[in-house]
Amino acid sequence: MTTSIDAQRPSLVGSSVRRVNDPRLLTGAGRFVDDISLPGMLHAFILRSTVAHGRLISFEPGDSPADLILGPDEVGAATEPLPFVWIAPDQQHLHLPMGDRTVRYVGQPLGIVVAGSRAQAEDAAESIEMTIDQFPGVADSLAALEAGAPVLYPEHGSNLAVDFSIGDEPDVLEAAMAAAPLIVSRRLRIPRIAPSPMETRGVLADWNTGTETLTVWMSTQTPHHVRDQLALVLRLKVDQVRVISSDVGGGFGAKEHLYPDEVMACLAAIRLGVPVKWVEDRNEHFIATCHARDAVHDARLAMTEDGIFLAIHTKVTGNLGAHFSNVGSGPFRVSGLMLPGPYRVANAGARISAVFTNTTPTGAYRGFGMQEAAWVRERLVDEAARELGVDPLELRLRNVITSDELPHLTPTFQEYDSGDYGRSLTMVRDRVQAYTPIVDTNPRVRRGIGFATHVEFTGLGPSVMQEIVGFRLGGYETAIVRMEPDGSVFVSSGVMGMGQGIETTLGQLAADCLGVDMDRVSVHLGDTAQAPYSAAGSIASRSMTVGGGAVVTAATTLREKILRIAAHRLEASVQDLVITEGRVRIKGDPSVGISLEELAEYSWLGWKLPAGETPDLEVKFVHDPSNISYPYATHAAAVAVDLDTGQIKIERYWIAHDSGVVVNPQIVDGQIAGGVAQGLGIALFEKVLYEENGQPNSTTFLDYLLPLASDVPDLVMDHFETPAPHIPGGMKGVGEGGTIVAPVAIGNAVAAAVPEIAGMLLETPLSPGRLWELLRKGGLFDD
Amino acid sequence: MNTPQTVKTIQLLVNGAQIEREVEVRTLLSTFLRDDLGLTGTHVACEHGVCGSCTILVDGRAVRSCLLLAVQTDGTSVETVEGLGSLGDLSPLQEAMWREHGLQCGFCTPGILMSIEGEARSGSSAEEICDEVLSGHVCRCTGYQNIRTAIHAYFATRHGS
Repeated sequence: MTTSIDAQRPSLVGSSVRRVNDPRLLTGAGRFVDDISLPGMLHAFILRSTVAHGRLISFEPGDSPADLILGPDEVGAATEPLPFVWIAPDQQHLHLPMGDRTVRYVGQPLGIVVAGSRAQAEDAAESIEMTIDQFPGVADSLAALEAGAPVLYPEHGSNLAVDFSIGDEPDVLEAAMAAAPLIVSRRLRIPRIAPSPMETRGVLADWNTGTETLTVWMSTQTPHHVRDQLALVLRLKVDQVRVISSDVGGGFGAKEHLYPDEVMACLAAIRLGVPVKWVEDRNEHFIATCHARDAVHDARLAMTEDGIFLAIHTKVTGNLGAHFSNVGSGPFRVSGLMLPGPYRVANAGARISAVFTNTTPTGAYRGFGMQEAAWVRERLVDEAARELGVDPLELRLRNVITSDELPHLTPTFQEYDSGDYGRSLTMVRDRVQAYTPIVDTNPRVRRGIGFATHVEFTGLGPSVMQEIVGFRLGGYETAIVRMEPDGSVFVSSGVMGMGQGIETTLGQLAADCLGVDMDRVSVHLGDTAQAPYSAAGSIASRSMTVGGGAVVTAATTLREKILRIAAHRLEASVQDLVITEGRVRIKGDPSVGISLEELAEYSWLGWKLPAGETPDLEVKFVHDPSNISYPYATHAAAVAVDLDTGQIKIERYWIAHDSGVVVNPQIVDGQIAGGVAQGLGIALFEKVLYEENGQPNSTTFLDYLLPLASDVPDLVMDHFETPAPHIPGGMKGVGEGGTIVAPVAIGNAVAAAVPEIAGMLLETPLSPGRLWELLRKGGLFDD
Repeated sequence: MNTPQTVKTIQLLVNGAQIEREVEVRTLLSTFLRDDLGLTGTHVACEHGVCGSCTILVDGRAVRSCLLLAVQTDGTSVETVEGLGSLGDLSPLQEAMWREHGLQCGFCTPGILMSIEGEARSGSSAEEICDEVLSGHVCRCTGYQNIRTAIHAYFATRHGS
């Protein structure tokens, strides 16, 4: 389906329109936070804890040559605690107090130093005496639950922060498991990941002493959310704070909320009355920006002797880090919600035990619990196939929900909307069957192909559902579409561009609905003084589904108004009019019409309007979807495993994907390709390491490896489109799917290549060192 | 007793224009370009020479500007992304990257452009650049496939002209 009304004009929806903001990014004219300078601007350095657990017993600025130094006591006195956003059942901590003298992770911000340059601020920080009384620390979530482990919050009694179940009642689930003929159970682990956008976080804060207003340029995915929280924490009114997020150099979840160090930079600007800039360096990114994942799953898949799935359950031990992040145990919970995947199971559920440790807090990252769910479920399915002696793809086809079973309510209360899950499996199967594997004479190189499939939760979401699950973010988006007096079209939305091309695709939707060319349309995002309110911003693959859906309805409504006004001017019926080549015309009579410029000019004058019509050519529409939208995909990887070196090479990679209506195929392909690359990093390289006591060992790109061009193969992608029935325009989210499925597709391929170690492939990354250990255990390597 | 020299005057060509500036000797080249000259197209993402975002050309060779001091460029010719093309007049490489969707957030892009440009000028083939040079850069968004396509498209236009 498309939203195009004018049959003579090719639809812009489904067209690979070139991205509108690329020329500026290609010529160095982008405006990332660190590119912006203001007169009199000073630079900040954040003082951080270098120990994992302890108590700051003295903070002595001495005669440090700085313009401003704020220690923890001053920060604490000047701020309100930062509220958490996703609150779990019985969660006792609801806020993060700022300026806490008890330190619980390396990187915890303790204060701020401001000077003429970053280098001078760092120099000044050198002469500040901070003494921290060290306590024993603990980094691993299972170790933190053992008796005698250091306890981070003694008043809480233990490190078990929250503990709850979702899905079927535990007794119902256990009864189903007890009755099942066959259960495959494994302990699987998903390691800690650092999101690592190429642009780190950054803030430029400017306090106007005359108007008492704070303008903050920040690299963020959620400008309005940040504004609201900044106002609250800094004891300002919301209308005293303006947040501007211009170009964002990648977010991936790491920039979806307000961090305490960002508050400190704003506080410093208010104190000094001059602009203050703070830009995180890469070392800080590794210790101060939320990590993600870090979960242990004790998981079970129950089935009949014929391999018909009956029930699935996981007990998640999730590492929260030193305190709840904004989303806290949310990612672990989503792992449980999405555990059933595209399969028919009568019973499903999860128990979530989230644990405090002396590590950087874990939060959102591309995939948000679903990559973990996919790793757990799809590895279990492959293990089940191995135990049953059946083909893994055949086992999947036996259990996948068919298109005539949709909509389908899972035991974890997800109402899958539309699609054909089996088709994605058979499309990839057909591609793989046509593939001729590389032939290699080296007997020490093994080859295998693995599959994985999933359904994904995108487009958060109905606001009422957010309320039910305790997620304090509205799930709606608002669009403003306006034809200006000169006939140009202004589009604004509260979602944020961070590389995903949303400036272009929202413009495509608006232009298509209005029947105008792209160059007439400009899209404005990221400035809270201009964009309509967005509670959630660009997270959860929601910008196109929720934000785009709002634009479709707003632009269509504006088109109807334009046609009504034109009908009045042309003394014609609305049904007889088309908008084409910048004019409203009567169908079949090109000589009669009115230009959009003239129509807009007179409309804004309030002249020549039909009775009852207001002069403004502006529509604002709030779109609160009735359901999540559920895209899905199947991936397959062909790998070569070198038994001597433990090296894995991805030789071919296939994807069959349905994300509903594709607005811009090139951009959608790019989202999937980038997502797969991040998933490949999780599969093969990425893991944030800590010493047992909480000292971080991954603090540079030399000890945290990201995938490079030589690691990532070209991908073979097939799309098909099942429009989301409940979203105007029919789009489903596409930002995260690639990352969710890729790790386990690769894991299953390694299992297929080296079946001797398949049962031990339970944890990523499958780095050469780890694989080599497994190969030795599997008797494939003698030294 | 000699006191260490903390500032030095340097002369260099930047995108073809003669520049003379006094700089702190400890100033990184990336900082000099961005803060002193306002050439903010050169991005800094790791400051330890791994990611390649800050890559520029010094006397035609691709270098990490975060690993050089500004004073080391005294007497050289420096080229940054700002010298490659302009909004209304993209270079063939920039044009190819745009057409093939070789960028998403665009933060790593200027460094990648300068590496490719430097290597192409020094006679490397598209295959060599795709296989080796591109792996000197971290791009977190694209998955690299479209950058490889853009490199081949760029070379096709070079040979066509």
